[in-house]
Amino acid sequence: MIRFVARRILTIAPILFGVVTVTFLVMQVLPGDPVLALVGERYDEATLARLRTELGLDKPLAVRYLDYLGRVARLDLGRSFVTGRPVAESIAERFPRTALLAGSAMLIAVVFGVLAGGLASRGRHPWTGRLLMGITLVGVSIPVFWLGLLLIHLFALRLGLLPPSGYGGGSLRYLILPAVTLSFASMASIARVTRSGFLDAAGEDFVRTARAKGLGDGTVLGKHVLRNALIPVVTIVGTDFGSYLGGSVLTESIFGWPGLGRLIVQSILRRDFPVIQGAVLFTAALFVIVNLAVDISYGIIDPRIRSAGGGG
Amino acid sequence: MNGTPLILGASLLAALASAGCGGEREPDALRLALETEPSTLDPAFAVDYSSGLVSSLIHGTLVAFEPDGTLAGQIASRWTVSDDGLEYVFIIGGARFSDGTPVTARGAARSLMRLLDPSTASPRWWVLEPVRGAASFHAGKAPMRDGIEAADDTTLIIRLERPASHLPSLLAMPAAGIVPAGIADSLGRGYGRAPVGSGPWRLASWAAGDEIVLERNPFAERPPRLERILMRVIPEPMTRIAEFEVGNLDLLEVPVAEIGLWRSAGPELLSGLELRVGYIGLNTEKAPLDDRRVRRALNMAVDVDAIIEHVLFGAARRADGVVPPPLRRGPPPPRPYRFDPAAAAALLAEAGYPEGFAMEIWQRENPEAGRVLEAVQGYLGAVGVEARIVTREWSAFKEAVDRGTPDAFYLDWFADYPDPENFLVPLFHSSNRGGGGNRSRYADRRVDSLLDAAAALSDPDRRWLLYREAEEIVTGDAPWIFLWFPVRHQVVSSRLAGYRMPVIFNGQRFTEAELR
Repeated sequence: MIRFVARRILTIAPILFGVVTVTFLVMQVLPGDPVLALVGERYDEATLARLRTELGLDKPLAVRYLDYLGRVARLDLGRSFVTGRPVAESIAERFPRTALLAGSAMLIAVVFGVLAGGLASRGRHPWTGRLLMGITLVGVSIPVFWLGLLLIHLFALRLGLLPPSGYGGGSLRYLILPAVTLSFASMASIARVTRSGFLDAAGEDFVRTARAKGLGDGTVLGKHVLRNALIPVVTIVGTDFGSYLGGSVLTESIFGWPGLGRLIVQSILRRDFPVIQGAVLFTAALFVIVNLAVDISYGIIDPRIRSAGGGG
Repeated sequence: MNGTPLILGASLLAALASAGCGGEREPDALRLALETEPSTLDPAFAVDYSSGLVSSLIHGTLVAFEPDGTLAGQIASRWTVSDDGLEYVFIIGGARFSDGTPVTARGAARSLMRLLDPSTASPRWWVLEPVRGAASFHAGKAPMRDGIEAADDTTLIIRLERPASHLPSLLAMPAAGIVPAGIADSLGRGYGRAPVGSGPWRLASWAAGDEIVLERNPFAERPPRLERILMRVIPEPMTRIAEFEVGNLDLLEVPVAEIGLWRSAGPELLSGLELRVGYIGLNTEKAPLDDRRVRRALNMAVDVDAIIEHVLFGAARRADGVVPPPLRRGPPPPRPYRFDPAAAAALLAEAGYPEGFAMEIWQRENPEAGRVLEAVQGYLGAVGVEARIVTREWSAFKEAVDRGTPDAFYLDWFADYPDPENFLVPLFHSSNRGGGGNRSRYADRRVDSLLDAAAALSDPDRRWLLYREAEEIVTGDAPWIFLWFPVRHQVVSSRLAGYRMPVIFNGQRFTEAELR
């Protein structure tokens, strides 16, 4: 197990180095000059040149790249071209809000997804199962944007139960709509894989053996079926949670949620290189770590994966 | 039937209901929405709309716009101009910064010098460009001598290179906001998040990406009636509408596509012409658009009135020129182009393009622009001009347009200050080709000299005659497909009183606003 984890950790460094290099290069290739975003609609060439010097954009590409690598190695993400604030400060401010939203969405997705999938897999009520699966089909295909506006319309405008948007200092009533919106697609896919996982596992020999041993319904379900059905759920949680932590642009925009996703988009529109690079590096690191955790948890849930050496 | 979903659903609803009760309504706070977050509140660096708007609520200027666009003293209680138009004297009244220190003529001079100083690297230094010695000081070629001078604590003298009757308008722009130079220098770029101004409001808090709270500046000369302004950043228009409808906003900018919903709103719907002109710029340096006849033909080929009616839902007035009607002195000009595809085709044939030609029209990513250009594309196609629409997001669009890459581009121009000069000079003076504002790269000696001569006149009626003449030449030469002057619509909440929709964005400082 320790060797398995160590090997996984060793792969992180080259991945992050690749991320730093690729984002840096993409910034250079992208059309759109960062100083143009700073000068407004009326400017002269001398001002552009002066700003370019001030931001270090007049130096050769190789020099800027090495400078940047050196700073990243010292964990210095630099300062925003636009606001002059340290990038790390902006990320530190935005990330907890994104994490709150992502965590709540994931919680909702897992709890309701596994419940719905479990219910749908029980053969006793075929219509409940079909109805639930119908709902999940809608869930995986509904555009986030439309769902968000629909929820605002229903719960804020019609019923007046919840505020339409905003962060509200992180209070629950502001969190519910964006979290539900964000969770929907994950919830639906979790429900679907849980259902097929349950159905597959229920037919396995070890389940029949367990029942033959005289174990109760609850024990069989909890100890044998659930455990096996969980592997694909963990995979979904891993990839979805990893990407949610990078900020969910659409949900954050609809609900005016001041998270990482909006910071990144705003920075891309303004060609604010240091913020884009810093935020992308940060989210890439998170994504890698979450995936590492997922890999490790496979090993815990299913020892067969551990002993096989974890090639994937 | 298994009861679990029912129980879950019921408990969720109960949780929602208990969480949902009681919205916070601050009785003395005006609630506004910002589409984008300001990038800075430092006047020297505020170039985008949000930054300029919020910065101008916090920072006083020597003179400032009223909601109707007229100029009134703010930090300066009054001002005089010498007969030759070269020397302005501003008498500084009793303004105080929000930390209580008085604004003196010396302090104001230092603040203006900071804007010009090459080491500040302000992109808006050009606001003071007409000041004597300013350009060479900013270029680092010579020290500043007597262009900006404080004679004593209350008398500020500004001397000009050449007469520029729009100087007071320039001094009312957000960039000319007076800052305590000592504080601004010591904070550097950090001043943009910790501003200290003499305007009616001061910054109380700023939660990044979320909300800016302004509170009444206790030292303001004309203190606001309200205690606070809460400005929430809400990027999505539909969400802003929902927030307004549930009563969380006191003012809403109505998007063009939604005007129908509000037409019946009665007294709470405000509307008026904006100081803004929408156009399709034609790159006058690129063939075949370098041919005046071709450009005129394109103007005749497009039915602008139909686009206004069907795409903009009537929320614009046809542009018969460049200068928006509120800034004109006298009747509107005769309609320069009539929709006449046959005449357009004939003119194209005369110019040597009987079969038409192909061109690219660039737009920035924006649903309205897309609908407008598709209509234009259809009209141009009917006279044989094959227009290909190229969409880029803003940074890339701006870079290409400023460098003269596209044949044509859909854009608009907002006034910085309510003066015809602010339309004709940046948009058509040859010295402003490219990034200066003249993006169709138009150049005409007569227009240049008319515009230069007008700047030297102080009598608004005589100036207008020259501007009118320049505008007539420009419209005849057709460096644009002339489109429209948009009509702005706002709705106010039933509790808001004392608000007037301003002609210019920084003409409304919410000092008279009250909540019933």
